[in-house]
Amino acid sequence: MLSRVVLSAAATAAPSLKNAALLGPGALQATRIFHTGQPSLAPVPPLPEYGGKVRFGLIPEEFFQFLYPKTGVTGPYMLGTGLILYFLSKEIYVVTPETFSSIATVGLLIYGIKKYGPSVAEFADKLNEEKIAKLEEVKQASIKDIQDAIDMEKAQQALVQKRHYLFDVQRNNIAMALELTYRERLHKAYKEVKNRLDYHISVQNVTRRKEQEHMINWVEKSVVQSISAQQEKETIAKCIQDLKLLAKKAQAQPVM
Amino acid sequence: MASPVTLKEKRLLDVRISELPSWVLMRDFTPTGIVGAFRRGYDRYYSKYVNLRKGSVAGLSMVLAAYVVFSYCLSYKELKHERLRKYH
Repeated sequence: MLSRVVLSAAATAAPSLKNAALLGPGALQATRIFHTGQPSLAPVPPLPEYGGKVRFGLIPEEFFQFLYPKTGVTGPYMLGTGLILYFLSKEIYVVTPETFSSIATVGLLIYGIKKYGPSVAEFADKLNEEKIAKLEEVKQASIKDIQDAIDMEKAQQALVQKRHYLFDVQRNNIAMALELTYRERLHKAYKEVKNRLDYHISVQNVTRRKEQEHMINWVEKSVVQSISAQQEKETIAKCIQDLKLLAKKAQAQPVM
Repeated sequence: MASPVTLKEKRLLDVRISELPSWVLMRDFTPTGIVGAFRRGYDRYYSKYVNLRKGSVAGLSMVLAAYVVFSYCLSYKELKHERLRKYH
């Protein structure tokens, strides 16, 4: 009956599975869907605390509830009494020596259960508690381990988010290196160009100086050549006259 | 009589009297089916009265009482001769 309930629940919870079954085998390969329904056994429901109630240890409570609407509270007891008297009087139940031995046995059993039942139940409960506590410990340890693993994983993932700092630093370094190389080469190019230009300038300067010197020498030489002997004499006489004049003037000045 | 739940899946207490023969015939009488029926009955009793945190003696005592009654029924034929009175 349980399997029937599970089947009907599965059919209502996962209609896609039912529809998929109607397609052909080739189509089924393409449209097969797994694990879409609710898993029926997970999480496992906990053990019930108390079971079905039973009266006198023999008759389930459902029987009393079944007769309650028609006969009230005393109905099943009257039924029981009537049945017992009927069996005895019609000798459907035969009173044999076994009856008395069974009465004694059952009496002893009931006395033992009533007297020692609770303590035995406590002892069994304690054993159960210990078992459950041990299993719970294992479960908690496992959960803690997995939680730690999850936290570490989250931390790693958070680190991944901060990777861009690293990349920024690297990018900055590369940019600086590029800038440095560019400036070095620029400076080198400037120096080279300046070198060549300086060379041209110095070549020009040297040429000009040489030309000047050469021209001066040549002009001097030609002037000296052009001064004839007679011109030289006249020039010297004139210079002597000028000097005498200047000497006279100089003598006159301090007197004034 | 059409019902929303198909006849095959109904439990015995939900089946109407008129549908009873067809329901009985529809049941699974293969060996696997019979073993499955015993298995289901056992599981139901077990999970209701035995597999509990605070179980009581009722789970065991009901089984023993049923065994006692069953064996009494089987040996009634011999016990008939030990009756105390002839006419009731």
